[in-house]
Formats: sequence, C-alpha cells, structure tokens
Amino acid sequence: MEEKPTLNFMWHLVWDYRVDLLKGLWTAVSVSITSLILSLILGLIFALFKMSKYSILRTISGVYVNIFRGIPALVSVIWVYFGWSLLFGHNFTVYQAGVIALTLLYSAFFSEIFRSALSAIHKGQREAGLALGMGRIRIFISIVMPQALKIAIPNIGSMYIGMIKDTSTFTVIGLAEVVRVTQTINSQYFQPFVLYTAAAGLYVAIAFLVDYLFRIFEGNFSFPNQGKITKFLSKKKHAQVRELIIKNS
Amino acid sequence: MSDQLLKLSKVRKSFGTAEVLHGVDLTIKSGSHTVIFGPSGSGKSTILRIMNLLEEPNEGSVIFQGIEYGLGVDEDNTPRGKAVNLRRQVGMVFQQFNLFPHLTAIDNIALAVHSVTGKSKVDARERAASELKKVGLIKWALNFPGELSGGQQQRVAIARALSLDPKLMLFDEPTSALDPELVGEVLATMRDLADSGMTMVVVTHEMNFAREIGDQCIFMEAGYIAATGGSDFFDTCTNTRAQQFIGSVL
Repeated sequence: MEEKPTLNFMWHLVWDYRVDLLKGLWTAVSVSITSLILSLILGLIFALFKMSKYSILRTISGVYVNIFRGIPALVSVIWVYFGWSLLFGHNFTVYQAGVIALTLLYSAFFSEIFRSALSAIHKGQREAGLALGMGRIRIFISIVMPQALKIAIPNIGSMYIGMIKDTSTFTVIGLAEVVRVTQTINSQYFQPFVLYTAAAGLYVAIAFLVDYLFRIFEGNFSFPNQGKITKFLSKKKHAQVRELIIKNS
Repeated sequence: MSDQLLKLSKVRKSFGTAEVLHGVDLTIKSGSHTVIFGPSGSGKSTILRIMNLLEEPNEGSVIFQGIEYGLGVDEDNTPRGKAVNLRRQVGMVFQQFNLFPHLTAIDNIALAVHSVTGKSKVDARERAASELKKVGLIKWALNFPGELSGGQQQRVAIARALSLDPKLMLFDEPTSALDPELVGEVLATMRDLADSGMTMVVVTHEMNFAREIGDQCIFMEAGYIAATGGSDFFDTCTNTRAQQFIGSVL
C-alpha cells in the first residue's frame, strides 16, 4: 500500500523572508507606477493623435495602438531587454526594460480609454468655452480634461492592477519582483504551496489598496465633490466665496 | 456707421453638400434687440452661430465694429481679426445652457473671467459674485450646475456671458429646453438686460417675448430672410408664411 506523503507546510518562511518579499513587492509597485505615469502621458498623446484632424496622426495612433495592445508583456519585455541590445548594442537595465515594456503596452490601452472619455464630453462644453473667448489649450485643460478624467479614472485603476500583475512576467529578465523572489526562496526550501500562496496574497492585498486609492481619486473628481483632498485644497477659496455671498446678499 | 455694431453680408453656409444659408445680409445696430424666428431648419441658429464664428461662413463676411473677422481669402489681403478676439466681445447663451458641470456656479463664471481677462482668481471671483447677484443667484454660488434647476442654470449661463462685458449678447433658443414654469424667470432676466440697453440678438419661439422686446424682427425660412420689420412687425407683417408661422406658434 502506498503511503500518503505527509504535508509539511513551512508557513514561517513567509515571516522569515518578509523583507525579501516586501522588497519584491516594492520593485513591482515602483516599476508599475513609473510605467503608469509614463503611459498615461503617452496614452493621452496618442488619444489626441487619434482625434486629430490630420489623417497621418490618426493613422500613426491607430497602428501604434493595434501593435502594442496585441503584444503580451512577456514577449514585450524579452524584446526590449534582449532584442534591443542585439540590434543596437545598448543594454537597458532590467528595471528600465520593465518600465519601457509596460509603458509601450499600457499606453496603447490608455490611449483608447482617454479617447472614449474625451469623446464622451458633449461638444457644447467646448463651444461654451470658445464662445466665451477662451483659448483652445485652456478649454482642454480646464473644461474638457477634468470631465474626461472623471470618466477615465475607474478604468485606469483596473488597468493599473493589470500592470502590477504583468510585472510578474519580468522574472524572465531577472527583475527581482515578487515572483522572482518567491522562486529564489523556493529553490532553497521547495515550499511552492506556501510561497506562492504568500505571493498571491501580496498581489491581492495591493489590488485592494489600489482600488481604495482610486476610489479616493474618483471622489475628488466627482461633482458635487465628495473628495477630502479637493475640499482641503479649496478651503481658502470657499472661505472667500462665503464672504462674497454674505457681502452680496 | 458708429451705431452699426455687427454686419453680415452675403453670408452663405453649407454643411457637407447641403447649403443652409443662401446669402444672408443682416445689420445689428448698437442697443437694438433683434429677434429671429422661423421653422426648424430655416437656418436661424446657424446665422446666430456665424455671428461669433462658432460656424465659419463659406462665403460672405462678418464685420464687427468695422473689422472683418474669420478665415477665408481676403481679396485685398488685409488681415482679418481673429475669431477669439470677436468672441471676447460677444456673449452667447445656449439652448442647453452648457454650464461646466465640474465647476460650481461661481467658478463657472470666475474661470471665464480669469482665463479671458487675466484677472487674478480672487478678483475673478469678486466679479463672478457681483454677476450672480444681478441674476439673483448669489446664494447658489457654491452649488454645482447639477444641483440647480434649468432656469437657474440658464441664469448662471447669462451671468457668465455678462461677466466678460460683451458688447453684444446672442441667445440661441434660451428657453426651449426649460420646463414651462421656469421660462418666466429666464425671460425676466433677459428683459432686464434689454432694458439696460444691451444689444441683443435672440433666436426664440417665445412670440410674446419677441413681440415685447423686438425692435428688429426677422422671419427666416429655408435659409433666407423671408420677412423683416420693426417693433410693429407682428401687427403689420404681410408675409403669409410669417403670418401662418406666428399664428401657429402663438
């Protein structure tokens, strides 16, 4: 009769290696936040290209989005890290390669998110700005963009959780993120169940945190404003307006 | 010449292949109250939107205080005024109010004042407050458009346009999107403005109001000015289509 192997879960490993695991998490968060900022900027530029009156810009944007939306993160980072160095003899660090790979992919997604949010703004909003004699850039910054951001923020939040998860594939180029750290510890103790459960826990915890943070952002972009940050920032202004209300009543 | 504020001459406008204005001439005198009415699709909103170049005419010219504005090829190569400079002197009120929903009532006005006149934000809010007071909405300064009734929103929109000291005010069916019981407060605000001597061009279906304030009445049909008259237009008009239209609306 076959003997059932005894399960020996070394849960203490999670605690013993907490610093390494959290360092891995920090690497994942830091790569993904840097990429988030860059891909939001790039995504906005490509969204504006897509909405441009010049067909060449629309075509560039369309091709870019379709290429990078279609490439998996794993393939993208291998290409950036190994392919680039092969072609041009210049080596990115693993951190840089991760940021570039994520930015290329997610700027394509953000471009589509921004495009749909921007086109959801009623054209009467732009017209009202024009009729008042406001400049186009001012209309975009003060009127169109705040309203579009409100629409885009929940989608950006979901995408950002995806970005954090995609950093796990960067283990192939040796980026010391959560999965890489987990693998290293596992190779010493062979405790995959314990260690990968811990890794999963870290990803889920960060997803909850991101959700919470983006809800705060969302509240600050809603109208009437629900956010504490904007309320704090507009304290002085509100005091002036309240004085004006009393003075003019 | 001096009392001729705005002049449209031989203005033609097409959307795609369909021409909606077939050469319109119109002069707006300082202090006058022009009312434009006519059936849907007659081009009355388009002509209003050409007055501040929200629509660029395909042919013809827009002359404001002796300066020609807009793009277009000028035969004598004199440079034309920029649309933005025309719009800074002409206020416009829309059927759908077009308030900025992410800004409070006072910020809707203060943003315009701050970004167009370059006044400081603090001074802009002072000005905004005095405009809100004039339309009776100072107590609503910190409310968002979504928290105001349609009539209140339209009065904020009027205050916003007036905060830039326009020389001409354009109204594009300002009461058409309002519940019937809210029309009165907006018309009252406009009446006050007319009494204050503001030059106004109003596209409207409110015939009683048009009869009351209009000293230049224009009936449009199918892209033409079909009939015009002075303040007695509603009683003396001989154009049968205009008579029919007035009869059907009143």
